[in-house]
Amino acid sequence: MKTVRPPYWADRFLTWYCRSDRLEEIQGDAHELFARKAQQNLTLARLQFIWNVLRFFRLRNIRKTDTHYSNNTFTMFYNYLLIGFRNAVRNGLTSLINVGGLAIGTGMAITIFIFADQWFHTDDFHANRDRIYEITNVVNRDSTLVTLSDTPLLLGPMLMEDASSIDKMTRIEVGNGALRYGDLVFFERLWFVDPAFFEIFTFNHAGVPSNALESPKSIVLTKPLAEKYFGDKDPIGQSVSIKFQNNVSAEFTVTAVADLPANNTLHFNMIISMAFFQDLKLKDQYDWAYLTDATFVLMKPGQSAESLLPLMAKYKKLQNESSPDWPITDFKIFSIPQITANSEDIESYMMGSGQPQGIFTMSVIAFLLLLLACFNYTNISVATITTRLKEIGIRKVVGGRKSEIVSQFIVENVLMCSFAVIAGLILSYLFLSPGLVAMVGYPIPFAFSSGKMMLLFFAGILIFTVGVSGVYPAIYVSGFQPVQILKGKEKFGQRSAFSRVLLTMQFVLAFMTIVGCFLFIDNSLYLRKKDWGYDHHQNIVVPVNSREQYLKLRDKISTRTDIAQFAGTEHHIGMGAERAVLDSQGKKFEMLGFEVGYDYMETLNLRLTSGRFLSSSMPSDSVASVVVNETFVREMGWQQPLHQFFMFKDRQRQVVGVVKDFHHDDFYMGIRPALFSVAPERDFRYLAMKTHGDEAVRIESELRTIWREISVDDPYRGIIQDDVFYNFNKNNRNDMSIISSVAVTTLILACLGLFGLVSYNITRRLREFSVRKVFGANTLQIFRLMNKDYVWILSVAFIIGAPAGYFLMNELIHSIYPDPQPAGALPFATAIAMMIVTVAATVGSQMNRVVKENPANTLRSE
Amino acid sequence: MKGSYLGELEELVLLHVGILYPNAYGVAVMDEIEKQAGRSLNISAVHSVLTRLEEKGLLKSRMSDPTEERGGRRKRIFLLTAAGKRSLEEANDMRTQLYNQIPKVALQFRLA
Repeated sequence: MKTVRPPYWADRFLTWYCRSDRLEEIQGDAHELFARKAQQNLTLARLQFIWNVLRFFRLRNIRKTDTHYSNNTFTMFYNYLLIGFRNAVRNGLTSLINVGGLAIGTGMAITIFIFADQWFHTDDFHANRDRIYEITNVVNRDSTLVTLSDTPLLLGPMLMEDASSIDKMTRIEVGNGALRYGDLVFFERLWFVDPAFFEIFTFNHAGVPSNALESPKSIVLTKPLAEKYFGDKDPIGQSVSIKFQNNVSAEFTVTAVADLPANNTLHFNMIISMAFFQDLKLKDQYDWAYLTDATFVLMKPGQSAESLLPLMAKYKKLQNESSPDWPITDFKIFSIPQITANSEDIESYMMGSGQPQGIFTMSVIAFLLLLLACFNYTNISVATITTRLKEIGIRKVVGGRKSEIVSQFIVENVLMCSFAVIAGLILSYLFLSPGLVAMVGYPIPFAFSSGKMMLLFFAGILIFTVGVSGVYPAIYVSGFQPVQILKGKEKFGQRSAFSRVLLTMQFVLAFMTIVGCFLFIDNSLYLRKKDWGYDHHQNIVVPVNSREQYLKLRDKISTRTDIAQFAGTEHHIGMGAERAVLDSQGKKFEMLGFEVGYDYMETLNLRLTSGRFLSSSMPSDSVASVVVNETFVREMGWQQPLHQFFMFKDRQRQVVGVVKDFHHDDFYMGIRPALFSVAPERDFRYLAMKTHGDEAVRIESELRTIWREISVDDPYRGIIQDDVFYNFNKNNRNDMSIISSVAVTTLILACLGLFGLVSYNITRRLREFSVRKVFGANTLQIFRLMNKDYVWILSVAFIIGAPAGYFLMNELIHSIYPDPQPAGALPFATAIAMMIVTVAATVGSQMNRVVKENPANTLRSE
Repeated sequence: MKGSYLGELEELVLLHVGILYPNAYGVAVMDEIEKQAGRSLNISAVHSVLTRLEEKGLLKSRMSDPTEERGGRRKRIFLLTAAGKRSLEEANDMRTQLYNQIPKVALQFRLA
């Protein structure tokens, strides 16, 4: 009989994995079974053999890779972890404070890092982002160079013709119109863009195909807008109508709905084709003087945007010839990463998320908090190590090397830090992140921009916390002489200079943040109630779309007795003015132009400082008179502003009045020179009114009803003047809540640290205090003894920290608000008071222990 | 003591090692269990139970003399240890004891 053999490879596999002392029996059994089965059916036998070989593949049968050495590294690590864990449990409260503090620190760091990470990776999703560039204008304004997103409308098409390196181009023109679907009509912001927009910026994953704007009659809506109009209905293919500024209406078909990702900064509402914008003919002709809001180009692969620079001289010439009032210095080209990082440098930017100061500040604060938490940890670790002196001594005596002691403490520290990071992650996910989202008011996904970033961050934060918090105690403790320790000679736990320095630094940080935070809050409160330069509490303004609407509305309200005064106007304070240039003795000045109706300034309660308001009874006022603000006078350098002359809009103008400075925009903008001139009634775009008493809110809601009788096609857009800076006030409130939560966290962290330290030191000195009590020391004396150190440290910390915090926050405030409150002593006083109260409470709670303690209990030794 | 508890399969294997004395090795135990108890086990399962019992000290083992079959490979012959015998007895005693405590009534099944 031919001998049958089991499958060769399976046998080899078995021989390979099986440990040698078991191989013989296992292989024997497997072969025996195979031989038996093979007499019945060879195929089945082979299959069974393979199956058995696989089933034998178990941990206890597998050969060990390293059988020659058995080292005890693992056992030692296990021992370290065990001892560390036991110690942590024994000093429950202290460990809890340690881990808790670190968890708060890391939680903050995680939250802010995610926020910043998202911020710096906005607009990452565009497939062509490396090839997209924005072309901007640089103008010289009062001898500072300002970059403007606005570029000539004609620049884009001409670039396409001239530069072969450009693949595609799109412009963005911001407009608005009343969007109507069925009975629903609202006034909406809209963008006109070139059809290539969605080819340059890819929104495929947001639901917009690149050909969405192929037809000039198509419209792309965002999801919130689509939901507002269509609810649950599918908007695709539906027809909507838009009534534009010049009262032209047109029908559009919805071709796509964009579900914009959170990290998108092209905040459009609805988009239609640029072709339509030119057809609208808002102007008779568009020359180089007409500026559109942004121009983006997509370079061909491998082409650099620098290749466009030589062309720019020609455009500069064209533009400066067509608008001599607005000479530009240069064109500047931005890549998307540059836009992300510097969007606030581009005036009226269309892409980018604006000021990085907020993110920057928060990052710095998060870092400081983390540092604070680490110092806490270090301080408390060093203090608690006293109880472990014997352990260290024994370890050394039985042959532990210094490096091994260090590694033991580092391992323990890694364990604690890992707990803290995990706890911080949970804290951040459950509380901090949702809190931050609620405060900033837009969603931040709880995710990192990439997996690599996440790994790097967590590795980084772990290494950082371990490095800062754990290395010093480990090295400190490993340096002791075992003989000294075991003989009980090592004087230890007497606070070292380092420990003092650390505690001081902790409180320096605490003082810095707290003083800074109070300064910020103080300023925010100040801005909230700051005078706007006019009394706005009784004002309502209603935008109108045509002269007809203006007249109708005027007729409706002119009979009402609860409206004290009203006026039509072309520009309205808080809703934008015209940027205009005037000529005075051959010099050009740039300022804000408000073209208003008679009575407008009286209606808005602007405060006259000299001269008179514009008046309908003075015939020359309609063409020649202007009223200016104080800043205007200052900039012109006039001693006597009244009856000064200058050229404005090709006409000689005379100053007839000066009003007090007023805030034409929110407090992020400074006060700029402004001038009021008379607008003809046909240009009125707003009707401003002043009510009697405090009835603005009620009247405003009545106007809503009245409006329906005036126009069905146009939505009502009136608001109370108080709400003009709604966004600013909202941001202001958010900033305040963010900053105050930071201040509270800092305080909690500092106090946790102090609490841990004090409670530890009291435990250590309990015998000493008991002896003192036995000899008649009273509570006050003990209290003084205990706090002497802390008071000293706090004072030094305050002297260093408070001015530092003041200086830094002041810089920040000045960079955000051009016109902040001069800082007073209040933030300092509050910071000191808060610190004293919390420190006293922290120490006091521990003090109670000492006072209540019966000396007999502590001193009795057997 | 932790680990002194005898699992059902362990007890079964232990018993069969006793039955097969002095020729209890992997395949034999597997075959015997199939024959006696009607349970078909995989050879690897039998091996792992045997090894476990040996680790617990209930079995000891030695290698047999090589024979012609199995390509001259030796078998590992398992034998009961004193501890193994005792734990079998204990298991047996406990079962009997518990069985005897069942009231007679509970065992009388009638069609009521």
